[in-house]
Amino acid sequence: MLIITRRPGEKIMLGDEIVVHVMEIVGNSVRVGIQAPRSVPVYREEIWNAVREENQAAAGSAPTELPGAPSREG
Amino acid sequence: MSTVTVESSRFGSLEIEAGAIIEFPAGLIGLGGRRWAVITKDDNGPFAWLHSLDDPSLALPVTNPWEFFLEYEVVLSDADSERFESADDVAVWVTVRAGTELTDFSANLRAPILVSQGQGFQVINEAAQAPVRAPLFPDAQSEAEAA
Repeated sequence: MLIITRRPGEKIMLGDEIVVHVMEIVGNSVRVGIQAPRSVPVYREEIWNAVREENQAAAGSAPTELPGAPSREG
Repeated sequence: MSTVTVESSRFGSLEIEAGAIIEFPAGLIGLGGRRWAVITKDDNGPFAWLHSLDDPSLALPVTNPWEFFLEYEVVLSDADSERFESADDVAVWVTVRAGTELTDFSANLRAPILVSQGQGFQVINEAAQAPVRAPLFPDAQSEAEAA
């Protein structure tokens, strides 16, 4: 992994089009701004990971016969 | 009309009309795959399958979230909402984790799949109440406990 030290206000380029902007440090949080082309989705890692896990679990769903709709009362 | 044939490992040979192919420029999160189609095996049931055209063994059960969650809301980030011209024209699906028991069934309300004009995007729903694993049959649980 490449490790770079940056100060608030400084930026990192990923290729020619993606800019990672270190905006400010507040307590133990770092605010980061990301500028990327529309074709590059940006996710918080923990959400990306949770969704990837659900997608894989859904793709591993065994039954080819799925149940009917739940009955609704009222 | 031109069709594409997929030798699905789940469903055998599937004929998919060219117009039904959904192009996902960024694939599904963590799964990739650019070309998918929604396959309906049971016209009356709430579930369909989002089937990959690139990988014949890859398919995910999906449902219309409002079949199960009447209050469901999708809130998009500015970047995601720019992908769609108008909300009227967007079909919304959520992926389903299916199991052997009804109590194992859940839907991912956090990352719905939005389809518009032949393009699909799996987006992150910014709404407060959008769990990745929302039980689809909560009543089945109480029946099992009662039995």
